[in-house]
Amino acid sequence: MPRTQKKGAIVAGFLAPHPPHLVYGENPPQNEPKSQCGWEQLRWAYERARKSLDALKPDVLLVHSPHWITQQGHHFLGVPKLSGKSVDPIFPNIFRYTFELNVDVALAEACCAEGARQGLYTKMMRNPNFRVDYGTITALHMIRPQWDIPVVGLSANNSPYYLSTEEGLEEMDRLGRATRTAIEKLGRRAVLLASNTLCHWHFHEEPALPEDMSQEHPQSLSGYQWDMRMIDLLRQGHTKEVFRLLPQFIDEAFAEVKSGAFTWMFAAMGYPEIPAELHGYGTVIGTGNAVMEWNLERAGLSKPASKTRASRRAIRQAA
Amino acid sequence: MAVVSAFLVPGSPLPYVKRDNPPWGKIATGLERAGAALVQSKPDVILLYSTQWIAVLDQLWQTRPRVSGLHVDENWHEYGELPYKLKIDTRLARACVAATGTIGVKSKAVNYDGFPIDTGTIVAANFLNPGGKIPLVLASNNLYHDFALTEKLGRLAARLAGKQKKRAAVVGVGNFSGAFFRHEIDIAKDKIVAPKYDRWNKKILALLQAGDGKGLSAALPEFAAKGQADMGFKHGAWVLGALGRKFTGAQVHAYGPLYGSGGAVVEFILK
Repeated sequence: MPRTQKKGAIVAGFLAPHPPHLVYGENPPQNEPKSQCGWEQLRWAYERARKSLDALKPDVLLVHSPHWITQQGHHFLGVPKLSGKSVDPIFPNIFRYTFELNVDVALAEACCAEGARQGLYTKMMRNPNFRVDYGTITALHMIRPQWDIPVVGLSANNSPYYLSTEEGLEEMDRLGRATRTAIEKLGRRAVLLASNTLCHWHFHEEPALPEDMSQEHPQSLSGYQWDMRMIDLLRQGHTKEVFRLLPQFIDEAFAEVKSGAFTWMFAAMGYPEIPAELHGYGTVIGTGNAVMEWNLERAGLSKPASKTRASRRAIRQAA
Repeated sequence: MAVVSAFLVPGSPLPYVKRDNPPWGKIATGLERAGAALVQSKPDVILLYSTQWIAVLDQLWQTRPRVSGLHVDENWHEYGELPYKLKIDTRLARACVAATGTIGVKSKAVNYDGFPIDTGTIVAANFLNPGGKIPLVLASNNLYHDFALTEKLGRLAARLAGKQKKRAAVVGVGNFSGAFFRHEIDIAKDKIVAPKYDRWNKKILALLQAGDGKGLSAALPEFAAKGQADMGFKHGAWVLGALGRKFTGAQVHAYGPLYGSGGAVVEFILK
């Protein structure tokens, strides 16, 4: 049972990209294929993020993955225990991972209900034979390989692709706000994981040896420049500017943040204008990946929104 | 000619997992009719391309001799599981992998325990090949391949089947119009999401029925754009490629909505 506090709060959010190559490079016992090395900068970035997460001691990790795609609604894992073997349909040669995870079903249900209250079509996934997607698994493994913290998994409704980017991301904003309300109501100490790559231009062929790092570099200069521009803005805490540029970034860098996780996470965190901590950046088959952290607790922003508003009201009344 | 029968079928799981819903039950019945026709054509192999088996790096071909399991659809999980038991024609699949270089495509064999078979492949295989008796060649939909390249892949697969002296049934799995309802609907009253898509679907079906290859070639690019054809109708390209665009007509076994998208079960007439 998750440890709870009086009123819940999001204590941090992480940009937690999910190339399965990172798991492959690490060689955990759960993954069948074994590598010689590979993608160390990103794996070591995750090592730093793991330490930070450990210190935060969250009750629950919420992850929004672009590889659980749903057309009708935003879905939530809703089975207490899920297990099985997840084989990446794109990279089956490097990712065949035996997983076992515990779901915070109560929080998932609350997120689902709050989403519906926000006017979104939401659905619980109750089928025990469901195969969890590799995006969810990779992000979770890389941030917390012990698998000892309950999880809420959210699907990526394809609205940003089916509708316009702006319409789709507006839905993700509502989903984020709903997630925050649910966390606060249930008293969870939560960490959010946005499982997204940045620039998503990639090579179309794999090297014969996938971990041949002599072949690894950004696929495109302009994509790399976009990544650096966005990361630098995030490091300076210029969140508003990042979101002003986001549609252009998505168009010009084919950025995977289009799928919604990044917007969902920022909406849930209240779009904090705080400097992000960059744990590391690296490319995977040419795509740009950054492991980044927004530590709301350290910034004094992890109090529930309602409590903060109440405090402000009390201060105003006292004045 | 190696190709003895050819079909277009939808890849939605709804007719399989929820056939008691009348609009989807009609499609299920049409799929069973197509299955009977396929069996009657006595193929040695089914060449199957599903728009839902997504690839991005190479052209993937299933080469595991036996593939079985239980799949839960990512979107329609509430309606239960999709069991599958497939036999793969590994010799022909490997020949496809080896030969695609001649058309400028890099291919890769997929032979992994637990590899996720997509919903479209499973639904088509279960309706058209119950019991998994006929071996299959399964081809992926590489998102970077266009209609013309997919047509070449279909032609290549059929040619290689002929080279191995095999009678081939060709199946393209995907929807006609791909636009769908995004929110909860009364499923008993399911309909094509907008009349313009219905008109486009019927136009393409009429061209197929009339065996009007020229008219079809002229209409398909516009159908892909304005009719929001599922994946640019690349499953159609696969079948047309295998047939060398030679067919005299088509029988529509079923047509109807699948949560707003256009589902059609089409059997090509080859003589």
